[in-house]
Amino acid sequence: MASGAAMLIFSFLDFAGKQSSWQRPWFPIATLMPLYGVVMAVQIALARFAGVKMPARVAGFSWEQIHLALGLMAGLMAVGWLVTDDYSRNFGLWIEVIGAFALAVGACMLQRERNTGALGG
Amino acid sequence: MKNTKLTPANLVIMAGAVIAFVGSFLAFEKFSPVGYRAKSWNAWSTHFFIIATLPALIALAMGVMAAVESFAQGTTLPSRVLGFSLNQVYFVLGFQATIMMAAWAVVDYLGFRNGVGLYLMLFGAIACLVGAIMRVAQGAPAR
Repeated sequence: MASGAAMLIFSFLDFAGKQSSWQRPWFPIATLMPLYGVVMAVQIALARFAGVKMPARVAGFSWEQIHLALGLMAGLMAVGWLVTDDYSRNFGLWIEVIGAFALAVGACMLQRERNTGALGG
Repeated sequence: MKNTKLTPANLVIMAGAVIAFVGSFLAFEKFSPVGYRAKSWNAWSTHFFIIATLPALIALAMGVMAAVESFAQGTTLPSRVLGFSLNQVYFVLGFQATIMMAAWAVVDYLGFRNGVGLYLMLFGAIACLVGAIMRVAQGAPAR
């Protein structure tokens, strides 16, 4: 949740050059990472703090699987942005990359916490 | 074709993977200012590697998985990966490739235009996602 919130806030800072990830030319390819973070954070916040009853599965996926898929894909994109060499990386990019890795780690921790068995736990 | 497990869904995935991978070597973005020679970059060019190459690599991974499932005699893919069934892995990868290519199609570089390679990659990624959905619809074993 913390990663998702931080990623959303810092996504409005300069991503590369003088533009944030919500401005041309980075929108929406660079906006995917914070959006994944927001989806994960909102689901956890609604389920845990607002007591909203969520469907147990969405399109055949449990919520733990959705978190793991989004976290891993955000991490993959973070690696992509780290390796791509074409621009001056700014503060917003670094926060998004760190946040994306944190999402992946958080999703893995969630698997262990809820004993899904996905990570052999 | 005998003794193969080539299903329509796997065929669609393999075709999509080939289209996306070939497309990644064609023009991804083009720049053609008036009075100057036009220039183009593919998904492997310095400006775009590897953030623009990822969807092609994801599609390629899906194609290889489908090919192994279809043709490799005596070789089986693991039934579950990180708690995901094989059908779910296909769906997640197809979804990720498609959403990244959809995002690239919308990206607006000043003065740049989308190239044919970008559209081929988008089409290939969508085909991979459709193939993944077909696997579920056709009742492919959710191994």
